Amino acid sequence: MSDEPVFTSRDRRQFLKGLGGFALAIPFLPSLVAREAAAQGMPNRKRFAQLCTAHGGLWHNNMFPSVSTLTEQMPFKGRTARRGDLRLSPQGTRTGISPVVSSAADRLTPALLAKMNVVAGLDIPFYIAHNTGAHLGNYARNDGNGSDGMMVQSQPRPTIDQIMAWSPEFYASTVRRRVMIVGNRLTYFWSNPMTRMGTIQQVDGTIDSLELFDQVFGPIMVGPARRPIVDRVIENYRRLRTGSARLSTDDRRRLDEHMQGLSELERRLSATVSCGTITRPTRGSLPVIRTMDYGRNPASQAQAYQLYNDVIALAFACGASRLAVLYADQTFSTFTGDWHQDIAHKAHLPGMTEQRTIVASHQHFFSEIFLDLARKLDAITDTDGTVLDQTLLVWSQESGNHTHENQSMPLVTFGGAGGALRTGSYIDYRETSREMGSRFQGTPEPRYTGLSWNQWLANALQVMGIPRAQWEESGGGYGVPYVGADYRSHYPAAALSGLSDPLAYLRR
Amino acid sequence: MKLRRRVVRSSVAALSCLLSGAIAACTGQIGSRPGDPFADGGPPSADGSPLADGALPTDARTPVAPAFRCDPAQTPLELPLRRLGRAQYTNAIDHAVRAIDGALVGEVRTAIAPFMDRYPQDHLGASIDGKHGGYASADQTVQQQHIDLSYDVATRVGEVLTRDAARIGRVFGACATDTNTANDAACIDAFLDSFAARALRRPLSAEDKTFYRTAIGGRTAAADLADLVALVLSAPQFLYHVEHGAAMADRPTRFQLDPWELAARLSFHFWQEPPDEALREAARTGALATDAGFAAQVQRLFDDPRTERALDRFFREYLWLDTLPSLDSRVGDPVFDAFRAEVSPSPALRNAMIDDVLSSARNTIRTGGALTALFDDRRSYARDATLAGIYRTPVWSGTGDAPTFTEAQRAGLLTRAAFLSTGTINTRPIIKGVFIRIGLLCDPIPAPPNNAAATPIPMLEMRTTRQVVEALTEAEGTPCAGCHSSLINPLGFASENFDALGRARATQRFFDAMGRVVGEAPVNTRSTPLVSGSDPRETADAVQLTRTLIESNRLQACFARQYFRFTFGRLERTDGSDDCALSRLHDAALAGRPLGEVLRVVAMDPAFRSRSFQ
Repeated sequence: MSDEPVFTSRDRRQFLKGLGGFALAIPFLPSLVAREAAAQGMPNRKRFAQLCTAHGGLWHNNMFPSVSTLTEQMPFKGRTARRGDLRLSPQGTRTGISPVVSSAADRLTPALLAKMNVVAGLDIPFYIAHNTGAHLGNYARNDGNGSDGMMVQSQPRPTIDQIMAWSPEFYASTVRRRVMIVGNRLTYFWSNPMTRMGTIQQVDGTIDSLELFDQVFGPIMVGPARRPIVDRVIENYRRLRTGSARLSTDDRRRLDEHMQGLSELERRLSATVSCGTITRPTRGSLPVIRTMDYGRNPASQAQAYQLYNDVIALAFACGASRLAVLYADQTFSTFTGDWHQDIAHKAHLPGMTEQRTIVASHQHFFSEIFLDLARKLDAITDTDGTVLDQTLLVWSQESGNHTHENQSMPLVTFGGAGGALRTGSYIDYRETSREMGSRFQGTPEPRYTGLSWNQWLANALQVMGIPRAQWEESGGGYGVPYVGADYRSHYPAAALSGLSDPLAYLRR
Repeated sequence: MKLRRRVVRSSVAALSCLLSGAIAACTGQIGSRPGDPFADGGPPSADGSPLADGALPTDARTPVAPAFRCDPAQTPLELPLRRLGRAQYTNAIDHAVRAIDGALVGEVRTAIAPFMDRYPQDHLGASIDGKHGGYASADQTVQQQHIDLSYDVATRVGEVLTRDAARIGRVFGACATDTNTANDAACIDAFLDSFAARALRRPLSAEDKTFYRTAIGGRTAAADLADLVALVLSAPQFLYHVEHGAAMADRPTRFQLDPWELAARLSFHFWQEPPDEALREAARTGALATDAGFAAQVQRLFDDPRTERALDRFFREYLWLDTLPSLDSRVGDPVFDAFRAEVSPSPALRNAMIDDVLSSARNTIRTGGALTALFDDRRSYARDATLAGIYRTPVWSGTGDAPTFTEAQRAGLLTRAAFLSTGTINTRPIIKGVFIRIGLLCDPIPAPPNNAAATPIPMLEMRTTRQVVEALTEAEGTPCAGCHSSLINPLGFASENFDALGRARATQRFFDAMGRVVGEAPVNTRSTPLVSGSDPRETADAVQLTRTLIESNRLQACFARQYFRFTFGRLERTDGSDDCALSRLHDAALAGRPLGEVLRVVAMDPAFRSRSFQ
């Protein structure tokens, strides 16, 4: 018997049932939840989720549809932007648009494909190997493996998920959890989020799906419920903060930050979740992760991530949280050796052994995790469609078609972000008339320059309804507008200007 | 000879050290420091001749230029309002509960365990390059999880301490359960004097008591008392190191810590927990404010077994022990299984390797050895039979004299298995070199060039790990050679006569995909490590490298920096304002004072006993 969730159009209430023993007893009606939210005048029902994977190094002919499917074109940013409709075709025993973006025919359906976009030609125009920060806009979070990476380490930025989370335009009312975070070193914000002051620091995530559940749906208090005392705790801090005892300016700043955190706690403790009866799952991801062969068992890895997906979907359905970011640092492969060295760093070799391993890994991630979440969100009705229709669901990878180079980092999206995005497209912004730099020894694929990842980040913020004043760099776009010395000659000025402009073919 | 694909892959897998978060390549430009890697080193050797096998010339000990220049007029900066580290936090909860009823500590631990499982780990900070080394004490981020979970913990402890009337009577006294409301205020004050005074690490002022009494309405109902506990355990004085200091007549920018603040600093530094009764008494009487009283307490705390907990943490972080990879992830792979042969890598073996190093540090301190004794300690502290087998020594019982290494090439620290093992079949000379250069010598290594990862890996014939690394990083004309051939690789090559499980070897074996040995080649450990400046002398192996490191007198300055970072939770400043504290540590280490004494120097330093309020 399959351990996959059951999805049928007749019984969407079961959408989270049957997952490897993880069964949320949720006799709630998502459609009612959505209507209730609408009735409460929720000004913004959009959801944003981004699933981020490490490495990359996928050849474009494995990741993207054939360029022959690009049937439309228009001048854009000093180049020709191209677009075509996404169309399913056989991919071995699966169906899809490319070897990676493929799945079983009953999972990747034409209806779902119509809600997807695949974008080529979004670049980071400098060298930023070994990073987890680029996905969401904090390029400073990299390992410094290269002078460019070292250069941007001194220029941290909050990540776009946190920009959304602390924007009153996104959360006009109280939620239990602003952002659901799975994994670490992915999301960053100011130490004093409300004032956007202090230092930019990591916001920790979890790898425990039960913890994720508790963060969203309530603490695991054991004893009898008591009236919160957060107000008195805050008063105790205020007493110290404003008292006469000697403190440094920075001591007081730290106290302010703590009081801000207490206010956030107080706010969340007063939040209610309208989801009917939700039973805490009895099984979480940790037992799966702790199995001996987890690191080389793609099925187990998928199971753990599907447990996160369950919580994300449920939270999105309820509006208990409308933001989620997830860092998937597993290999999704049975490979037992040094993935980084023996696979990722050899992705370019023409022998293709390593590339095939990478393709299988990413196909598994797409089909079993990314598509899994998309399907779950699409199974929940919302006003005027499904939750997926209100969502911008993103899959980003660390590299482009050459490991540790960031030209044409593949971007796959599901959902229309409440009508802000045009979907069903394969979009290509690459300037394919001229190769960028020399090829690795024997590598079969060239690199071409595209448009800036900063422009994508800016577009993501805009489609989620976040005013420019809350994030825009002085020169436009989002993220440090750095261009590496070795890269400058390859990028025409037009590609790196107007970085807040709507991306062609993507925005409505 | 051409080998099959898998053989070649196994060979070049040694490059994992090169590109996996370490030094990918190097531009070869050595800046000045914090730039000059040899700023604290002495002149190069007189003759530049290779070292003969065996001892260095007796006059090889390098004179040392002053590494730090103390200017007492400078004012060191302080980290603002340091929070308790994770271990300090849990210890502080135990301590407060134990002060009122030791029998409840276990129940409280169990009750808060679900929250502590989720309390953020402390991440390493104060690393010179942001990616190598570092100390958890430098993690001063305050996440929302810290706030949420400390609130949950405080609330939960309050619930446990007020579970029922009998419990309330035990914890708060009979005054909390009787029907007399007239004694409620005194009852609350008494609890504040016991529990809160220990939790907040100082007696409460009248204003403090009024606040807490008022916050619970002056009542002693169970819910009110639970709130009282929660308020105390959520207080800034509990979660942070709150210090106000007192003006110093001769130092307008420095403020002397008061005895209670000093007691807390001392106990958290040495024990990672709040002051015990003796230290509190010294604070209460003012004895701690005297030099003699302070010194006596420093000695007492250092001699207490609890100090080992903090020192173990320091040595784990100083020596990058937590970077020791998992040793068993490749078990089952035919090539790895053939390589490991009779050795069974396991998490227990990994722990044993780490414990071997920590035991060496403990023994060095216990026996009064100097810092340098840690580096040439040739005893095996293998309490695990597998590790003892690797070392070819008897299993150590854990007490008494540990057996001595039987292999002549096993030099001491640098040849302990924890520094050699990789979890693969290949050694990682670059990682070893980076550790010595950055971790033990505190030399900066410039950023690698952008295209380091693009360097094609040559798929050639059978070669040793050293040969592969040399071909990739030391080839003439490559941007890598400048650093790798001088600063990094030679330090790592010196111990290539040990394999990736720490076993001594003279040759490196090569395997095919089925794990069959298809060849072997002799290893080469000779190198020019450039420990001090442009010293061109060659060392034969790790034994000579260890001696060169010791005799360079450069380990001590780096150790001073490292212990400073651990103690103060930050990098030393480059403007010299930390040089007084650093120079005292350095001087003590350089003078060959016992390591334990060196570690106590930091607490005796004025920077430890006072602070600024910029």
